[in-house]
Amino acid sequence: MTLPLFEHHRKRSARMTDFHGYMLPLSFTSILEEAKAVRERAGLFDISHMGHFCVTGPGARKAMNSLITSDLEMVPFGKSLYGLLLNPEGGTIDDLILACPDEETVHMIVNAGNRFGDFFWIRSQLPSALTLTDMSPGQIALALQGPSARKIVGILGQGFESMGRREVRLPDFGNGSLWVSRTGYTGEDGWEFFGPAAILLDYYLKLSEGGPDFGMLQAGLGARDLLRLEMAYPLYGQELGPDRTPIDAGLDFAVNFRKISFVGREPLLEKRSDSRRERLVGFILTDRGIPRSHCSVLDLDTGRRVGEVTSGGYSPRVGGGFGLAYLDPSFAREFLLRREAGVEIHGKIHRAKVHARPFISGGLIEK
Amino acid sequence: MSAERRYTPTHEWIQPFGDPSRMRVGITDFAQKEITDVVFVELPKPGKQVPQGAEAAIIESVKAAFSIYAPMGGEIVAVNNAIEGNPALVNRDPYGEGWLFEIKIDSSPEWNGLLDEKGYEALLASGTGGGH
Repeated sequence: MTLPLFEHHRKRSARMTDFHGYMLPLSFTSILEEAKAVRERAGLFDISHMGHFCVTGPGARKAMNSLITSDLEMVPFGKSLYGLLLNPEGGTIDDLILACPDEETVHMIVNAGNRFGDFFWIRSQLPSALTLTDMSPGQIALALQGPSARKIVGILGQGFESMGRREVRLPDFGNGSLWVSRTGYTGEDGWEFFGPAAILLDYYLKLSEGGPDFGMLQAGLGARDLLRLEMAYPLYGQELGPDRTPIDAGLDFAVNFRKISFVGREPLLEKRSDSRRERLVGFILTDRGIPRSHCSVLDLDTGRRVGEVTSGGYSPRVGGGFGLAYLDPSFAREFLLRREAGVEIHGKIHRAKVHARPFISGGLIEK
Repeated sequence: MSAERRYTPTHEWIQPFGDPSRMRVGITDFAQKEITDVVFVELPKPGKQVPQGAEAAIIESVKAAFSIYAPMGGEIVAVNNAIEGNPALVNRDPYGEGWLFEIKIDSSPEWNGLLDEKGYEALLASGTGGGH
């Protein structure tokens, strides 16, 4: 499926790729150059594939809070919250960002590949008095990310530069709600915009035209994946899935067991104390090679398979091939205590050692 | 045999270099764009025999790993060590400094089965390029 900015990307000779059925830019010039621009200056991403839902009606905030792992009722109105939707077995349906302007309205941003599944799941769980609307069809969504984003967002002349970290504004222009948040998926400062193409095309054109004066590059999914992996942010379908809990993925910070009960809470509590649970670890290769999803992780002494890579890549900032892997708990313990593991790439065994997550300190971590 | 360049449907190029049985091999400009930023290249060992169509090198890019197949069979006689230290040469100059290896060919008739410039362009235009 093509999205509203497709022709603009084609004119820029972007290399396009299919992502969950949507044609999106993989890269415009070079994945490494685009990622570097985001770390040092800024990058502009087309994220129009992502889903934007809205729940409205009496008690909307409380009802959504009973479906997610984090506590939406503890977050001030107008601030965003990261959370996960669980199935009744404690596995992950999706991870998402939510925000409420008031008690009767919840906006949320969900993953493209889960949009329909999320919609039907949420609809099935909400009281019928509440309205769930998918705002995404026809939308344009943009992410402006990088240390220069604050200067660049001023080009839009909307005062967004005065927003606080994780603040969400939901201005209503009459033709559908606009989501503007100071959030992102890169570890850098930045803004994300979701809204009707009529409004966001103007934002896109202004940022595309004025951004380069601040060193901004247009960036694609290749850079987006590399940047999120450097921060060890999970990607649904890789680190997260229906058989993985947020605890497995090391997302304990996004789970609150003291809040009102939520779907999946009891099985999640049980799984948390299960000693057979696999652990997600960060690793770096000590020799030349690039690990990829599904590469086997081996015990170097016995050759036994002890895990699988979920995401892998190469980053000059991390210092080579690196990634995330789920490991058997017994091996994971030793690996975390600096025992090396093998990662099998094209039939060859490469040595890997544990690496702290995130892999690098992004702009946000130093602040 | 002319000094022209020939191509494979899997986006390698091959060109006589020096004596007519010695051929230089690389990837096409289309391939380097598809592969994106090249990070490592695993080159064959000189002296290795490779039949036509066999995997002779692996290019690892930020995006994925890509097998590079020998356009003609023969013995690897040289590899481009410059790209070990500077793999971006493959992206910057795929037909020049970004060459991969040289092969001493076994059989010149294999040359005739390869695509010429026109044939390769037609393949790209038809959008059915396989391999990468």
